Amino acid sequence: MNQKLRGILMLFLALVVQISFAQEKTISGTVSDDVGLPLPGANIIIKETNTGTQSDFDGNYSLTVNVGQTLVFSYVGFETQEVTVGVANTINIAMVAGALLEEVVVTGYSTRNKTVQTSAVVSISASEISELSPTTSIDNLLQGKAAGVQVTSANGKPGQGAFVRIRGIGSLTAGASSPLYVVDGAVIREDDLANVPNEDIENITVLKDAATTARYGSRGASGVVVITTKKGNRNKDAIVRFSSRFGFTSRIKPNFDIMNAEQKLQYEAELYALGVSAAANTAGVTTTPGTPERQFLLDHETDWQDLMLKDGIIQNNNVSFSGGSDNMDYYFSVGHDRNTGIIDQLDGFERINSRLNLNFDAKEWLKVGVNVGYSRSTSDEPRDRNNAQNPFRAMYDYNPYETEFVLDEDGNVVLDASGNPVYSPTHTTFNVRGALLSEPAIDIENNLLSSVDAQVLFSDNFSYGLNAAFNAINRRTESYSKPGGILDAIIGDPANPGNKLDTGTYRYDFTISNRLNYNLDSNNHNLNLLGLIEYNMNQNNGYQIRSIGYPSAQLTTQINGNQSTLTETTRNILTLFSYGLFADYDYKEKYLASASIRYDGSSNFGDDNKYGTFWSGSLGWNIAKEDFFNIEAINDLKIRAAYGTVGNRDGIDRYASQNLVSFTPYPGGSATQTSNFGNPGIKWETTTTTNVGLEFNLFNRRVRGVTDYFIRRTEDLLFLIPTADEAGIVTPDVPALLGVVGNLGVIENKGLEVSLQGDIFRSDDFKWTVGGNIVFLDTEIVELPDIDGDGEGDDVFPNSSFNIAWSEGVKINEHYLVRYAGVDPETGAPLYYGADGETYRGLDLPEGENRVFQGKSTIADKEGGFFSNITYKGFGLRTDFVFKAGNWINNFVESNLVSDGVNIDDNQALAAFNYWQQPGDTNVLPSPLIPQDELNAVNSDRFLEKGDYIRMRNVTLSYNFPKVSLDRTPISSLRIYVQGQNLLTFTEFFGDPEVGLSSGETIDFADAVAPGEATLYSYPNTKSIQLGIDVSF
Amino acid sequence: MKKYIYKLTFIFLISGLLVSCDNELDQVPFDDFASANAFVTADDFENGIRGVYVQLIQPGFYGSSDRGSMLTAPDVLADNVTLGRSGRNTKRYLHDYNYNASTTMLTFYRDVYVTIYHANQVLFFAESFEGETKANIIAEAKALRALAHFNLASLFAKIPTQSGDANGSLGVAYVTEADPNILPARLSVGDSYAMIAQDLEDARAGINQTNPDGRMGKDAVNLLLSRVYLYMGQWQNAIDAANAVTASVAPRDDVVGVWEDTSRAGLILDIENELPTLGNAIGVAWSQGGVTSLIPEYVASFQLTNLYAGDDIRKEAYIFDGSSGGVAYNGIKKLFARPGGQPGVVNYKILRAAEAYLNKAEAYFNTGNETAARQALDVVRNNRYTNPPSGETGNALRDAIRLERRLEFAFEYQRIFDIKRWGQSVQRGSEGDIADGSGTASDVLNLAAGSDKFQLPIDQGTLDKNSNMQQNPGY
Repeated sequence: MNQKLRGILMLFLALVVQISFAQEKTISGTVSDDVGLPLPGANIIIKETNTGTQSDFDGNYSLTVNVGQTLVFSYVGFETQEVTVGVANTINIAMVAGALLEEVVVTGYSTRNKTVQTSAVVSISASEISELSPTTSIDNLLQGKAAGVQVTSANGKPGQGAFVRIRGIGSLTAGASSPLYVVDGAVIREDDLANVPNEDIENITVLKDAATTARYGSRGASGVVVITTKKGNRNKDAIVRFSSRFGFTSRIKPNFDIMNAEQKLQYEAELYALGVSAAANTAGVTTTPGTPERQFLLDHETDWQDLMLKDGIIQNNNVSFSGGSDNMDYYFSVGHDRNTGIIDQLDGFERINSRLNLNFDAKEWLKVGVNVGYSRSTSDEPRDRNNAQNPFRAMYDYNPYETEFVLDEDGNVVLDASGNPVYSPTHTTFNVRGALLSEPAIDIENNLLSSVDAQVLFSDNFSYGLNAAFNAINRRTESYSKPGGILDAIIGDPANPGNKLDTGTYRYDFTISNRLNYNLDSNNHNLNLLGLIEYNMNQNNGYQIRSIGYPSAQLTTQINGNQSTLTETTRNILTLFSYGLFADYDYKEKYLASASIRYDGSSNFGDDNKYGTFWSGSLGWNIAKEDFFNIEAINDLKIRAAYGTVGNRDGIDRYASQNLVSFTPYPGGSATQTSNFGNPGIKWETTTTTNVGLEFNLFNRRVRGVTDYFIRRTEDLLFLIPTADEAGIVTPDVPALLGVVGNLGVIENKGLEVSLQGDIFRSDDFKWTVGGNIVFLDTEIVELPDIDGDGEGDDVFPNSSFNIAWSEGVKINEHYLVRYAGVDPETGAPLYYGADGETYRGLDLPEGENRVFQGKSTIADKEGGFFSNITYKGFGLRTDFVFKAGNWINNFVESNLVSDGVNIDDNQALAAFNYWQQPGDTNVLPSPLIPQDELNAVNSDRFLEKGDYIRMRNVTLSYNFPKVSLDRTPISSLRIYVQGQNLLTFTEFFGDPEVGLSSGETIDFADAVAPGEATLYSYPNTKSIQLGIDVSF
Repeated sequence: MKKYIYKLTFIFLISGLLVSCDNELDQVPFDDFASANAFVTADDFENGIRGVYVQLIQPGFYGSSDRGSMLTAPDVLADNVTLGRSGRNTKRYLHDYNYNASTTMLTFYRDVYVTIYHANQVLFFAESFEGETKANIIAEAKALRALAHFNLASLFAKIPTQSGDANGSLGVAYVTEADPNILPARLSVGDSYAMIAQDLEDARAGINQTNPDGRMGKDAVNLLLSRVYLYMGQWQNAIDAANAVTASVAPRDDVVGVWEDTSRAGLILDIENELPTLGNAIGVAWSQGGVTSLIPEYVASFQLTNLYAGDDIRKEAYIFDGSSGGVAYNGIKKLFARPGGQPGVVNYKILRAAEAYLNKAEAYFNTGNETAARQALDVVRNNRYTNPPSGETGNALRDAIRLERRLEFAFEYQRIFDIKRWGQSVQRGSEGDIADGSGTASDVLNLAAGSDKFQLPIDQGTLDKNSNMQQNPGY
């Protein structure tokens, strides 16, 4: 519509102008690129006017101009050229490749042109985000996109985030290895990322080395992810953009089979015949093949996986309006997301969100920007625990001959007094199908992200900026055990049936920052100085209310509860006060230098150690800009180096420096409990980063590459230094945590990052780009605390892990287990290596330590992604792969599924049939006749498996309607696509290799120090196929 | 000019805001309290000593931990219970003697030492406290510290009278200071018991005759002392301590009520377990569900059930007829529920007067005074049977004393220790888990006398964190 109108207007104007001025003439010509191919869509504008045109598909253009006016030719990626109109009627232009990506990089409190950037940063733009996986969360999206950024999806639960680690593990405390996330200047938690809709994001920039992260001082040690939301373009009519997706999601099919009813019954009978007495009560023994009883079981076989899971629905709709006038611009959006997940009977995740970003020039000297985003999400929370209350464990454990409901002799479902079907307890005594209905848990989050920015211009050189950001998250979790439900029948109070728990958190984060900016640009010298004073306050408020005694399952609010059993509120505050001075300098964009210093004080440290100083310095040299540099194949070449220190204060309690008690009720009055074992000396954890990088563009920028080598050394590690069990130190809220927080030890992460892209074909109709990135990572624990006082660093067995040990000289997060030596072909017994290298049966292992470090860590030492993007006319085919290699996962799920008869009551994998039967059998599982205490005696690496995989994260086939075909419609652009996610996986792992959380209730997201250590029935990963449309008008 | 004034005002406003921010770095918690401020007044110390009891009833200690606790382990390890096949197989590793350095009662071990830490913390602050309750507070803290070490030693170490080599074997690390950085070593059994007895003797000297409900008084300390001396083989001391217990044995008519929380007869240490103060479902240690929807983790063994004579009131008080889906079970009643109440919610009952008489009977028997032994035994029997057996002598009397101890304290935190110190074997019946003895029997029916399995293994993690810790033989 607009374009058409504009066309008519232009024509009209042209006519008028034609009449008035005689010297006008029509110029035409062809615009071509650096290799001589026509360049469609280049902009040709008459300088100092709003008049202009674009080259067509053949690179041709024509335009009416006055003699003496100047034409400006521009195209993204090429240098802008100006030509004054003279006598010639034809102006052909060969564009010259422009400077190194005229990209502006958001680098902590300021933006900097990529050409003069001296830090290792990766930027992901809005267009790339919209082309990529439509995951509901940003962190998942980062995987494979930026070299050195390792992403492990926590699990497949809709709305669940991922573990993001930039350049290895920066800290040994839980939660401190996640990067800092900054949205429009305000810090948000990794857990809350799902509240920022992808559609609203203009740019994600990952800051990797100290040159930029040190500007975030105490919080930048694990890298920084800077997220900027969209804004409108000034002097542009409103663009209305509508995007919509719809599709289906399902579990990624496991690469193993479990037994069906007939097989399980046979397995039970076989084991009993062998002499496994535990099988005596199983149906395979109590019923005989061919009998009506056996037939009854087979006739009522249940496929529990089929019953428990469903094909889910993914849906997304988003509308945005953006535009602006002379002195203001705006962006407004409304969106809705839904992902039902794959558990039958649950609704999964749903989010509505809205955002308004407004920037205006209040005065000539005052610019104001306001960003406000709101979202509300609801999420069903199935139990993520290691028993039958978790549907993903139950579906493997329940026997296929067990039924969902209790059946009478005729196979009819038995009804209770109210006429409802009676759930069968199964052999686990817990029917999760019934429990999904009777034990609902839902999580509701309201999230407000808002910031105000004011800039006062004193002169051309001086400006002052004030930024205030308020983030508030209001989260409520409601879990209900309905009266008469599955759990109520087992543990409820008959006099007070039903049990409702409401848990709420209100998080409030406030940042106010003041910036004084000085800018000097003269004689090819370019200097930017920024002074900063910043204050941040983060407050958490929580409540928990529980009551019992509900007259009806329909009543879910506590006003109807009979008896309150829990009422509490909590509050805590963390503050940070900072001063900073940052300088960036370049000479002719050739010689680059930056430096920063930041002084941070944090309230969670001891009185004498509240403040820390962090600094950085970096240098760069754009060699290709030198006059002497004359290699045609190399268009850009920059080397850069950065060194600096960054801090971390996360992962410890907010009042960790103080000795504290809290009170709990006991008959007769209050009872004093120790709640914190204080360490008044605790201070900042400091990471020193060294980075050397090379950026290059070759062959007319057909090949683009970046490579970086880095060393991150973290000292004064903050972590819970374990104490002897006999000391009796337990954090009351987390009984598994024993120890006192302190600063001790050194770790190091070293690595090489390579990122390459190339245009294999580049013509106007057909373009094929491939690219990829990889990090080679090497981690080491350099120094650990001396706990037992012998002068040497002692091994640490971290809480919140299963079999991880930290030891000087080994990798971070190595599994520490006894080596499994296979099955003894003579006896069928499992054998293990003793410390002496000999093989032993489980009960005969030599006394003392037989566990060993084998260099097998939970951290991948190679990780990255690669992609191919083909466009032909309007068609596009994009495929993205992610890969990970070198990490090891302890496969507890497999160990339960091939349990050598130990879990005979539970269903087993088909592979369990392959057990030792007679002397000489090899390649078999141990004999089920081996006594349980021998099988359980050793914590071995029998199920420790390589986590290597390559996964096709995304494949998208899209069609962009050509402008010509939309001419007669009000639509300015239209794209339709079909997208598949996680459709292909290559792995040798038993099950799904993308393992983050083992079991969320055993080790939760925030506590995990070794994500991906083990599998333990967390929500499985999903695949999806979606159809989408993007329209703008 | 005007413009500059605006701008300057703007900046001054902001810098004013900043100055007030620097103080914000001094934060004190809202939900907690500085330890040094928490032990000042007499009330503070009352709170403090209650804080030790709260640790005593943590899941791993006198609680319902699935890994086993004082409430269950001594019976699960012995012959009074049979694994329920419809349950969740909790504590099965104990019942099947399938424990090792990676699977042991770690939760119990830790909770014991947390209790000890809290007692030591009270003792540390009490040193500089001069209120009139000081002696009682110190006595109570020492009694609790002794109880914790004593229970720990009973499970993880040999009992002095168990064998000739017991006193010289590995005991427990006896911790007397509240310090996160200690790395204590294990004392010998002899030294460990000497420390336990010393703490209890100190407690006896200073403790009030009675303290508020849910706390130990002089009777509790004397009763514990009599058991400790009995375990140590100091018969006369055991007799003296038992004689000092003033509470009397619950009369027969009250026995059922004691386990239904309608009577407190004969109780020396019990803790009210009621909302909103506590309300813990400790009975899940034995079973879940109601009388007719029972999911037993363990049932009373068929062998034990049949040992109760027809006129023994304890059969009704300790065992109930439960069922689920038409299958009948001998349910364990001691922690089951108040009649009609929430399953598993009953008061904690930790020490009872009847034990004083049974300790005394056994000690007298060992000194050769059969008459006094029989008298003490009959005090219990007269309050349990309508036609009590009587008049035994010699080995028959010894066996009668042992039988009565088993019957009186079935499911009550003692059985495996008694088997152990008498040098007996565990001999379970081959009957199954169903009420009539059918169903599936326990997987392991015997544990030979003298087996290393009578002493639980120390967890590997415990050994890893304290280089002075030693593992028990056999693991």
